[in-house]
Amino acid sequence: MPVMNSAYNGRQPNDFKILTELEGVPNSRSLEVYKKHGGYSALEKILKGKMSQEEVINIVKASGLRGRGGAGFPTGMKWGFVPKGEGEKYLITNFDEGEPGTYKDRYIAELNAHMLIEGKLIAAYAIGASKSYIYLRGEFYDEIAWCEQAVKEAYAAGYLGDNVMGSGFKHHMDLYLGAGAYICGEETGLISSLEGKKGQPKLKPPFPAVKGYLGKPTIVNNVETLAVVPWIIRNGADAYKKFGTEKSAGTKLFNISGPVVRPGCYELPLGYPLKRFIYEDCGGLIGGKKLKAVIPGGASAPVLTAAEVENMTMDYEAFAAAGSMLGSGAVIVIPEDVSMVEVLENLMHFFKDESCGQCTPCREGTGWLLKMSRGILNGEGQLGDEQKIAEVAGKMMGRTICTFSDAAAGPARSIPQKFAHEFLEYYKKKSSAHGQG
Amino acid sequence: MSNQVTLSINNQPVTVPAGSTIIEAAQKAGVSVPHFCWHPGLSIAGVCRFCMVKVEGMPKLQIACNTPATEGMKVDTLSDEVKETHKWALEFHLINHPLDCPICDQAGECELQNYYMKVGKYQAQMEDQKVLKPKALDVGDTLVLDTERCILCSRCVRFEDEVTKTSTLGIFNRGDQATIGTYPERKIKHNYSYNLADICPVGAFTAKDFRFKCRVWFLKETKTVCPGCSTGCSVNLFQNSSQREYYRLKPRHNAEVNGHWMCDTGRTMYEHLNASSRLASPQLEGQSISSAAAMQAVTDAAKGLAADKVALVLTAQFTNEEYVASLSALKSVLKSAPKVFIWRDESEKSDDFDGILFRGDRNPNTRGMMDVLKEHGITATVLKGDYAPLAAAAPELTLILAPEVESAYPNLAKAVGRFSELKKTVYFGNALTDSAKKLWLRIPVKTFAEKSGTFVNFNGVAQKLKANPAVFANVKGVDEYFGDLSRLAQSAV
Repeated sequence: MPVMNSAYNGRQPNDFKILTELEGVPNSRSLEVYKKHGGYSALEKILKGKMSQEEVINIVKASGLRGRGGAGFPTGMKWGFVPKGEGEKYLITNFDEGEPGTYKDRYIAELNAHMLIEGKLIAAYAIGASKSYIYLRGEFYDEIAWCEQAVKEAYAAGYLGDNVMGSGFKHHMDLYLGAGAYICGEETGLISSLEGKKGQPKLKPPFPAVKGYLGKPTIVNNVETLAVVPWIIRNGADAYKKFGTEKSAGTKLFNISGPVVRPGCYELPLGYPLKRFIYEDCGGLIGGKKLKAVIPGGASAPVLTAAEVENMTMDYEAFAAAGSMLGSGAVIVIPEDVSMVEVLENLMHFFKDESCGQCTPCREGTGWLLKMSRGILNGEGQLGDEQKIAEVAGKMMGRTICTFSDAAAGPARSIPQKFAHEFLEYYKKKSSAHGQG
Repeated sequence: MSNQVTLSINNQPVTVPAGSTIIEAAQKAGVSVPHFCWHPGLSIAGVCRFCMVKVEGMPKLQIACNTPATEGMKVDTLSDEVKETHKWALEFHLINHPLDCPICDQAGECELQNYYMKVGKYQAQMEDQKVLKPKALDVGDTLVLDTERCILCSRCVRFEDEVTKTSTLGIFNRGDQATIGTYPERKIKHNYSYNLADICPVGAFTAKDFRFKCRVWFLKETKTVCPGCSTGCSVNLFQNSSQREYYRLKPRHNAEVNGHWMCDTGRTMYEHLNASSRLASPQLEGQSISSAAAMQAVTDAAKGLAADKVALVLTAQFTNEEYVASLSALKSVLKSAPKVFIWRDESEKSDDFDGILFRGDRNPNTRGMMDVLKEHGITATVLKGDYAPLAAAAPELTLILAPEVESAYPNLAKAVGRFSELKKTVYFGNALTDSAKKLWLRIPVKTFAEKSGTFVNFNGVAQKLKANPAVFANVKGVDEYFGDLSRLAQSAV
């Protein structure tokens, strides 16, 4: 059982501002404000200081930064996979934020998209990419405008172009708008979409770092991952490692949704106690309702019971030890009066709609899971159905091209296992309906 | 580094070229790994998730089709974990499949059905309603598409993208609504469309030419060679042997000749084999006679003629053995070689090639025929639109080895018209058409399906035909008729 890190006792969320430094600053999206707060000085440090690609990668490796999109893969290591030397390479930002409950990347763009652009420039420098894209969800009208504006400003200020800050480093950046498919947030699905194909994950191997966009070495990073890179370069890896736990370094943006008093996007150090987050930072549940369950990392993360929340800390290892995951950091709070059968049906509907349909277990399994959970919700279920849902979900795991199938299976296994008693009430409804018949 | 790797599959060692996948190694080792989306002639999709195997040292099962075989790798395809995974893969494939095998034309050669019998045989677990999708779609002149039966393996999409490069097909929508189909306003229009029905593992694509005509378990296949053009694709010819009725051809893999495919033109090469379209017995001036009487008439006509008064008109649709037999017989009967002509259709563009398989030379054995003539030291005159050289020779007797595949000779009637102006003409041909009616003597011959012998393709690859019993018991091959001629001429002496 994870133990609450007492080091955070008495500290307020404002003490952990890295990504949210510009929160509340007037005109925060402008280039001047960003520069006043140290913006583009990390890039300058690298270019003027003639740091090698290896040095940049080593700093990021040393910082312990892990991908913030959900999988938590060490960022510096990922960059290190790109073959060295000449040749076309691409850097793509995954701004297809589609994980239900997640709105952290939008928040970064709302604060200041230059964080992302500077982070992208540093990453591009590290891997030797002269071209990068921001793959944005098409529905993010404001964020698209903010990113466009920031890219334009960066070009005008000489941060983008054939000769970045007079250093000889060349980098161009474009935006690309997706059409709202969840699966385009999966990195190879995103690459397919960016290539103009149907957004479907690609078979691995080959991995994108070797053969990605247009068959060239490609790195896909989440917005939050890239946006924190300038801070790490400015302040050093050790400064970043002061936050978080040994295996989960730094801060992370957490989005909380559900009936809490103060919902929103919070920046917290990893390893922060989940219960304290819900009850102190977010003010607890509205109307003093009792907590039933928490989905800790977006729709893909297996659900935690209220009891499991008690001593849970918000970091990669603690969630993994409990059979769930940190994911995108979207904390979904489920109060006592919401039926877990409804939660299951809702999630299964989402996964059924969003399965790309390529791999058989996922294509057929997600539809099947929805039919079964909907059947139970409609009072057509019978004893054992919830176990069948868990069984089918189990057979969808680890058998597909991408992890979408595993993501769908997560809640479909955990909800019937942890809340079996709630299903029984729906089966009773059926027998009583028959009795009246 | 060696360019071969040795791995073990179910403890059985197998050595394959480096870069091979596990499924290829398994095939070589004779271990069958169930699969739907993988096809050796197409790129790897890795979507059916059926071919999962256990690789020692890897935590999850791996798909055999996309996992490279490496030195010392230990693969297991028989463990309970693997079997359980195969069973579930099949379950997922079947839950929305209509299971309409009794009315499905693919039944009997359906990979889904076969695997069900092999690894499944259980009660379906899904009790909910199946996903409904469009059925019996007309997707072109040759194919019917049932999207409900489709298991979305994407073989057909890859075939269209990679082999014919026509990209007519796509998978539309997502999740369990994903549906195979043609792009709007597009139809499947190319000369390789029946391959789609072949590679479709289920009854989603069925061939208009074959569907509902015969259940496949009544058919027997013969390994032979397509007579449709000079490529000479290796094929299987399907016959209902109790009816003596031919139904279709399918490509047979031959890396040297046709790979995995054949063209739609070649697929029609069963039509002229069936009794309904064939001349059943020799016709002397319009009257049916026996084969013996027909060859007696030929012998009588040849008697006493100088060799240069006999013309032999060849088309390149016969076997090497038949050319040898006819030339040898005539040489012995006439004491010298007759005048030899080669009949090519006047519209023929023999150098044409569609870039895949189909060639402008619509004769399967041009190369073999030329080789035989050369061996016999014969210089032949080509008749291509101009028949004057034949008329100028003023033959008393003309023996014509007419094209078996008349459709390859669009100007056949015109040529035959010119032949009819000659004195006695003997037409060795099968068709029941009127085209050759005016000629003196017509003699039906065995088709490519009924004889053994050799075709040499454009590239010099010699392949053997395999004989089925003749549709008409009295009909002989050209070699047999000319053997008769030798014998009759000799006994008359």
